[in-house]
Amino acid sequence: MLSYTLKRLLTLLPTLIAASILVFLFVHLIPGDPAAVLLGDTATPQEIAALTREMGLDKPLWQQYTLWLSEVAKGNLGQSIFFKAPVTSIIADGAQTSILLATMTIFWIIIFGIPIGVLSATRQGSWVDQLTSGLAMFFASVPTFWLGLYLILIFAVGLGWFPSSGFPSIFDEGGISNLRYLLLPSLTLAAPNAALIIRLVRASMLDISREDHVRTARAKGLHPTKVAIKHVFRNALITVVAAFGFTFAALVSEAVVTETVFSLPGIGRLVVQSILRRDYPVIQGVILVIVVLYLFINLLVDLAYAMLDPRVSLK
Amino acid sequence: MIFLSRLKAFASSRVLATLGMVWLGVIIFAAVTAPLLAPFDPTEIDPIARLSEPGSLYWFGTDHFGRDTFSRALFGARMAILIGSGSVIVALLLGGLVGMLSAYFTTLGHVFMRIVDVLMAFPALLLALVLMTLLERSVINTILVIGIVYASTTARILFGMTLKLKNEVFVDAARCSGAGHISLLFRHILPNLISPLLVQASFIFAFAQLQSAALDFLGLGLPPEMASWGNMLSEERIYVTRAPWLLIFPGALIILSVFSMNLVGDAMRDSIDPRFKNDIAGV
Amino acid sequence: MKRNNWWKSILGVVLYGLLVGSGWTAGTLRYATVGEPPSLDQHVVTSDLATTIAHHMFEGLYTFNAANSPVNLLAAGDSLSEDGKIITISLRDDVKFHNGQAMTSVDVVASMKRWGEFGSRGGLLFSNVDSVEASGEYEIKITLSQSFGPWKNLLAFINGGPAIYPASVMEGATKEPIEPKNYIGTGPYKFSEWQPNRHVELVRFDDYTSPSGAADGYGGERKANFDSLRFMPVPDAGTRVAGIKAGDYDYAESIPGDLYAELDADSGVNTILNGGPIFGLVFMNSKDGPLKENFELRRAIQTAIDKTPALQVAIGPEGLWRANGSFLPEGNVWYSESGAENFSKGDAEAAKSMAEAAGYTGDPIKFMVSTNYPFHYDTAIVYTKQLANAGFNIDLQVYDWATLIEKRAQPDQWDLFFTHHGFVPDPILISVMNDNYPGWWVTEEKAALKSRFTATSDPAERQAIWSEIQALIYKQVPTMKTGDVYTYNIASPSLQGLGEATLIWPHFWNVSK
Repeated sequence: MLSYTLKRLLTLLPTLIAASILVFLFVHLIPGDPAAVLLGDTATPQEIAALTREMGLDKPLWQQYTLWLSEVAKGNLGQSIFFKAPVTSIIADGAQTSILLATMTIFWIIIFGIPIGVLSATRQGSWVDQLTSGLAMFFASVPTFWLGLYLILIFAVGLGWFPSSGFPSIFDEGGISNLRYLLLPSLTLAAPNAALIIRLVRASMLDISREDHVRTARAKGLHPTKVAIKHVFRNALITVVAAFGFTFAALVSEAVVTETVFSLPGIGRLVVQSILRRDYPVIQGVILVIVVLYLFINLLVDLAYAMLDPRVSLK
Repeated sequence: MIFLSRLKAFASSRVLATLGMVWLGVIIFAAVTAPLLAPFDPTEIDPIARLSEPGSLYWFGTDHFGRDTFSRALFGARMAILIGSGSVIVALLLGGLVGMLSAYFTTLGHVFMRIVDVLMAFPALLLALVLMTLLERSVINTILVIGIVYASTTARILFGMTLKLKNEVFVDAARCSGAGHISLLFRHILPNLISPLLVQASFIFAFAQLQSAALDFLGLGLPPEMASWGNMLSEERIYVTRAPWLLIFPGALIILSVFSMNLVGDAMRDSIDPRFKNDIAGV
Repeated sequence: MKRNNWWKSILGVVLYGLLVGSGWTAGTLRYATVGEPPSLDQHVVTSDLATTIAHHMFEGLYTFNAANSPVNLLAAGDSLSEDGKIITISLRDDVKFHNGQAMTSVDVVASMKRWGEFGSRGGLLFSNVDSVEASGEYEIKITLSQSFGPWKNLLAFINGGPAIYPASVMEGATKEPIEPKNYIGTGPYKFSEWQPNRHVELVRFDDYTSPSGAADGYGGERKANFDSLRFMPVPDAGTRVAGIKAGDYDYAESIPGDLYAELDADSGVNTILNGGPIFGLVFMNSKDGPLKENFELRRAIQTAIDKTPALQVAIGPEGLWRANGSFLPEGNVWYSESGAENFSKGDAEAAKSMAEAAGYTGDPIKFMVSTNYPFHYDTAIVYTKQLANAGFNIDLQVYDWATLIEKRAQPDQWDLFFTHHGFVPDPILISVMNDNYPGWWVTEEKAALKSRFTATSDPAERQAIWSEIQALIYKQVPTMKTGDVYTYNIASPSLQGLGEATLIWPHFWNVSK
């Protein structure tokens, strides 16, 4: 197990370096430069060039890259051009929002998705099954910004039940109750993402219920619901946990649109705003961190498979 | 003719999916005949008629330029079909080729799948965002970016499926009777992958609609002067209370089209080879 | 059992969250901004958003009253020598910086020098300055190389202007904006924190001493009633509106024109018009391409355009825009109609024959516009149509703002580009007056008028010369004004003391809720 883990970790390294080069190139090849954005409309080309020089952004790309990489290796992602603050702390703050939002979304998905998935699997083919999978698929077809817009209109402006936008840190005034700012956005995100989990729960329960030990249990006369929960559900869990892993990683980064609609200070919006301003260190830093997160979750899921399911060989 | 009878069986067992097919037919029809059907030029600006309510003259009302929303929606169907099928072609060609070749030629596969790993490590929407800023907004770039994003998933899926088939008896038999690599890949393995590929295609088509709408919303998708449903929503979203028709019509069109495509894909998935069923995630 | 408790605690948190009302105290102003400022350093940054935040903490020697005339802020008085070349400014002796130090002439001189060398608008004044020195603990002396009329207006304009920082902060400061930890000013609010993506927070400065006199525009008494001001980025206009209606913000800026009637009628929302209009500008390339030195062709383009439909489409309600050819609005001392008869002819036929006479043969004309500002884009779409009707082959290039700024610096990349200009109290501050601003309008006629314009301090004479410059702009067309746009902001009705209209940037001293 340990050697397998180490091996997997080693193969991550070249992937990471390749990814870092890609990130760097993409970001720096985008036309436009931060000095111009910083100085604003009245600045003349001469002034912009002078500031670009002062910030060291006129050096050859490979020089900037090696400089950046050597700092990254030391755990330093550099300093934001605009905020004049370390990229790591900016990302950490954005991560608070993103992780809480993703967690809350997963929470809704579990609350709604798993029971619905189990229900439709136990009643395979019935109208309940068809209705729930139809509904799940319908919600997966709604553009999130459109849904968010109407949720704000109805629940924040109309009914006044929830705040419309923004998210003060939970370490700020208001503390844990600030989580209510994330209710509407997390529901917006959960709607399209629940479908995948519902289908997976349903499919893996059906698959496994065809397996021998489940049939045996059923033959022994155990109550069907008990069989479902004890035998089927537990096994289906592996697939579902893996799916949650990826959904979580995806939610952290794909929430861009939702974060924009609800003005949440998450990682996704941080990237969009930083792209618009050409804040190179922030864009690079965020994407690199997300890539590492993806690879890490990937690895964890694989390891979980290896540990939980003896059929997966540890090659 | 087998196809026809199959279609009939399909229609009787799957009411929703059939309705989905019908709706997609309507969209394709609208896309093809948009210039004939559209009562107005979709780019014609009329400051006097701006923000008109839906009525007998403007069926879906007008936007803040005074442009006819119905005509724009028709031309938007064109963009939807174009973006959808374009992304499908890019994703399937690129991803399919990479996936199949990698599974078939193991050494090459090692290199290819590493590249796919790198690409898959990038979150799809962020990758699309960075690429779109880099490449400028255009139809081709939107198709390429969305296509590439889904090419990596397609490559992964086809890689797995080809691996499974590679060791099947019928492939061995063909190899023994002297079939070359190309013939093995494209005459023996590929035909078995067609139906899962179709399923994958339908899901990519549906995703591409949502992705391109999201890109339009973030101001990084199709050029803003293009009449696409995403652009219509994005440009007019401040009018949600002032002129609700500007959000309801394009929004409903997107939802219906994506929903239809998902239904069709889901129905097709149920009828494919059970070995591949769980390889395609979809929704 | 354990599992049950876990569920309960989560449920508890959610319910608690739902039940506990807003945690905000009445002492905080929550301001929804269009985005985040690039930096708050007033010397080098000209973003209006930056000034909206920063003028609560940084002050200059002068500021503007409601009539847009400069009045004392940190200055106590001044005198001008007979030949107009030596300015002596005495400073208030009761001013403290946020770090507790007293403000003296050393700080003022250091700030002036940094602004003069690196500041956005510093060059305008300092190209005429021989020296700035302290002539006493609370007095400075500026020696000019020649008499320079607009000096006081330039010192009073805080946006890209000479905010007064402590000398210690100015040490080693260059073109690069100073860091947030150095945001030390003299204003009624002091810098607290900048949480990226979340908010910029200012808190009340308890040792503040206000200038005397009744409040008048930005002048006179300044009283900080709020404990803190929070400026939160809410880039989506619809979300800003929803946020005010839902009570999540007290004030939101830059609201789309088409929502004005609806919001004005809503008793839950107050609308506040901006007194000074902004105006769109379409710059023409004087350095390269088909428009270089071809004034006839530029006038043809100007003639082809009818500004009104574009304003109707881009802004909406009649009250929020004016098809006004004068660069400064009606009622302002700089208002002038000279040349303005050419402002909005909308005559496609005349334009066609003018273009022909100018030798135009249908070559593509590259027109750059950004989508970051919807009104730029909407206007450009209308103009492109009108120009096409007059036979021009317009190649509309749509970029994001950062790309546009980079492209416009390269003369071979464009022929026309769209931008807008904020209200300025003195025409010398308008970007087209700067020879180095992209477009690069440098002609003998301009140079002659400009040097006459800055040489005199006599208001009437300066106004007359400005009229001539405006006429020249309509003749040589370095840029086309697209009309005046009165932007507006919205506020919660509970805010008291906002006044009828905003001068240039909203301010929240003397405001409470």
